[in-house]
Amino acid sequence: MLEEDSRLSEASRSRGTVHIIPISIVILLLISVNPSQASDFESSWEVVESGTSEDLLTATENGGVIWAFGTGGVMVQSADNGITWATFDSPTTSDILNSDSGFGSLLVSGESGLMLLMKSGDESWTDISLPAGANVNGISLTSSETAVAVGPHGTIWSLDEGVWTETNLSIDSDLLEVSFLDDSLGIVVGSDGTILFSDDGGESWEYREAPEGAGDSEIVSVEFYSPTRIYAITDDGRILISMSNVVTGTDVGYIWTLVDFERHYPAGSNEYVLGPSSLDVELTSIEVVTTSKFLMTGEGGYISMSINGGTIVSQQINPLGNNSDFNDVVMLTGFIGVAVGDGGEILWTENAGADDQLGFVVPEYGNFGVFVDETKDMFLSGFLATLKIVAFGIILGFLLGVTLAMCKTSPTSLRYVVERYETKYVRVVGAPILAGGIYLIYTAIPGASDLGLNGIEYIFLPVGAPISFAKILLGIAMFFLGALFLSNDGNFSKVRVGPFTLNPWRVRPLNAIATVYTDFFRNTPLIVQFLFIHFGLRLGALIQDPGLEIFSFENLENNHNFLTDIIAAYDHSEDNYGTLIGGVLYDSAFISAICALGFNSGAYQCETIRGAIQAIPSAQMEAGRSIGLTYLQTMRRVIMPQAIRICIPPMGNEMVNLVLNSSLAMIIGYAELTRQGKLIVASTFQYAYAWGMVLISYFVVTWTLALILRWLEEKTRIPGLGITGGD
Amino acid sequence: MPEKVLNVEDLHMIYAGGVHAVRGISFEVKQGESVAIIGSSGSGKSTVLRCINRLIEPTDGKIFLNGEQVNTPHTDVNDLRSRIGMVFQSFELFAHLRVLDNITLGLRHVKGMSKSDAEDEAISVLERVDMLDRIDAYPGNLSGGQKQRVAIARALAMKPEVLLFDEPTSALDPELIGSVLETIRGLADEGMTMVVVTHEIGFARDVADRIIYMDQGAVAEEGASSIINNPQTERLKKFLSSLHEDEIVE
Repeated sequence: MLEEDSRLSEASRSRGTVHIIPISIVILLLISVNPSQASDFESSWEVVESGTSEDLLTATENGGVIWAFGTGGVMVQSADNGITWATFDSPTTSDILNSDSGFGSLLVSGESGLMLLMKSGDESWTDISLPAGANVNGISLTSSETAVAVGPHGTIWSLDEGVWTETNLSIDSDLLEVSFLDDSLGIVVGSDGTILFSDDGGESWEYREAPEGAGDSEIVSVEFYSPTRIYAITDDGRILISMSNVVTGTDVGYIWTLVDFERHYPAGSNEYVLGPSSLDVELTSIEVVTTSKFLMTGEGGYISMSINGGTIVSQQINPLGNNSDFNDVVMLTGFIGVAVGDGGEILWTENAGADDQLGFVVPEYGNFGVFVDETKDMFLSGFLATLKIVAFGIILGFLLGVTLAMCKTSPTSLRYVVERYETKYVRVVGAPILAGGIYLIYTAIPGASDLGLNGIEYIFLPVGAPISFAKILLGIAMFFLGALFLSNDGNFSKVRVGPFTLNPWRVRPLNAIATVYTDFFRNTPLIVQFLFIHFGLRLGALIQDPGLEIFSFENLENNHNFLTDIIAAYDHSEDNYGTLIGGVLYDSAFISAICALGFNSGAYQCETIRGAIQAIPSAQMEAGRSIGLTYLQTMRRVIMPQAIRICIPPMGNEMVNLVLNSSLAMIIGYAELTRQGKLIVASTFQYAYAWGMVLISYFVVTWTLALILRWLEEKTRIPGLGITGGD
Repeated sequence: MPEKVLNVEDLHMIYAGGVHAVRGISFEVKQGESVAIIGSSGSGKSTVLRCINRLIEPTDGKIFLNGEQVNTPHTDVNDLRSRIGMVFQSFELFAHLRVLDNITLGLRHVKGMSKSDAEDEAISVLERVDMLDRIDAYPGNLSGGQKQRVAIARALAMKPEVLLFDEPTSALDPELIGSVLETIRGLADEGMTMVVVTHEIGFARDVADRIIYMDQGAVAEEGASSIINNPQTERLKKFLSSLHEDEIVE
């Protein structure tokens, strides 16, 4: 009895091991949630010594010399592109708030109406101050000796021949900044979304409408960059842009729009935030470098850059690591420039502020150790991506294969279906089927003939008019089926057609459908199937979109489990709450790849499984049926368990083929192993290393799979059955 | 008078290839009776058996099980088969299942019994065929006689109203035949209704209540088991004499 017990437990153990496969697949899927690739950056800004600890509030460049001004009237200048700074003897102790240069001249303004001009060619300042108490918010030179200044409550001063003339526009808004392109075209901005435009050197101003949504904002800074473009910024983190429009003939300055930030990169990260229209920073100044490239400063140590007109804004790393404000940024060239800030801080860059990725030194890829270190993450992600499509492809292919093999071996011939009913009923059913078939063909013909195909071109009908083609096929099938049913006389006899004798009653519809499927997938190249399924049918997107509606974050927020995570996984951490981070539905190329691999493999597996089913003696079916099991019960409980065991070795072949075929998924842009290999080659030029490692990675996958199947074969072997070569 | 369990009327079977295997056979089997069908190879014996539980669809004729016609289009064929046990010449055990599971398969998935009830039932029928000691073995590790006894147990477990044997000893080595015949004899003694297609003339004579001799698809002679010793027709005489003398005597 003891011996019997041990044998019993051995038997149940060998059955239990079958579950290892699904379990290992689940584990595999769980570890394969898309890894995020974070990398480090370092700031491209360098801290340089300014020689002062006063707050530097404004900076400008004049004739190759960079000037910075600040509290207590401090003036510093640099003649070597901002690397070393020297203090300039200041004629004032009042805070200097604004500066402007142009036409060879330099103009600064400060508190209590302070106004100093260094005319073109001069080496010293001329005091041209306004009456005490004037609050100048912004200044702009319109020639070497003329300028415009703006202040609170619509005040505008014009300088001509050393004399200021005050104009007061009857508006309540404070004017905050002025910028002139030349001696005629100028722009003034201010609170409550005020925008004023002048085309006569500031003699008259026209009101221009702020874009919708910016009507209440304080427009703090503006730069009239070119005859085609003006940029302005607000204190609530938005960018306004005005462009001339050649098509409509609209000049610059008429139409203003808010920049829609597509992405916004926080400092030191390549993970972006999808932006609305605000950067959530109180911006203080803007420096336009080219038509679409500009830098901005803001409260709390904020410096950022955009190289595409604001669509993507990248915040710069503050090398000081503190929150001291930067008040102005000035660029000498497209790349070299300085930012000035509180406490006399000056930052210098020669890289336009584009942050360097750390370790951007080109590694020595010729050294294999270095090569592996640098590329192993890419290999790993490709490896996991390959495992994922292989795992899902095997599951889909096997399910399809079993279903198709069952269809192919099913005994449901037309005679089998019909013979249990009386002849007259079959005839009655035949008539509407025949009529339906004719109707389908009739309705499909316009769709097909409208294509204007000729002769042989009609073989492409399934592509040009798939619905018509399906209707015609179905219609023809229904026509013959209906005719056959109508002619039923209960004898199910053969039909002579010329030299052939056919028995239409022996046609098996399920077999026919499965045969069409397998013939199609086995007689077309897999790579074309990939291309057609992904780019032609767009099957990935067709499944992904409705799939994500069902498995949306709202639906899964409180009841997600590991199964739903396999389908669609969302981030539940604070930072990116609700962002799709993984799962089958993450990537439409992934879905397409699974489908293409599974559909193709299913067609081949079907033939393997069918062969195995047919290898089981038909008497096994009789034995199962004789104790009262139904056909499907016998298939499931008697035939399939034996057939699957028989077909494990050839199925191993199919699985290995599936792994190897998965490399074709690179053609649809799925980042599996081969594609990663290609990318690695593209960036390292190490062909032998990269492709060698890809080869070994594939070998690891297929060899492991082969070992698992061998082990499975051994574990599921039926004692005393078959020639195994072992005991 | 014992009630008729099985009644076959004017059974015809024409195979798809046109072979007229069974030509108008009629016979009946009463409750507790054991009927042996003998005849030379190709005389249609096995076809008759397969028609009874509709593994083959008869071309014409009527089959009644306990008075109810069972070859109509409306008959639940799976229910019918669960009421008629069948034992095959080549055993046809389910090779991937242990002896116990071979027997519980039908009980669980046709009769819907729980696993433990089915196993209790299986153990009781295995005891009847004296196979209790190989309950965990796989069919591949059993001898032919053991296999056939398990197959008999599998049919018995379904508590059939009639048991059909299709040449149950033809695939067995001579020394293994005894145990299987002994088992069948035991069932006959217990009053099991059965139809046995066999080449074991001696066994037919000793065990069967009635013997049907088939030739060329038709009943050539039918009667009590004594007809083996006293054949009435020339054809049966010829058939018997073609067999070895010792087979008949033993």
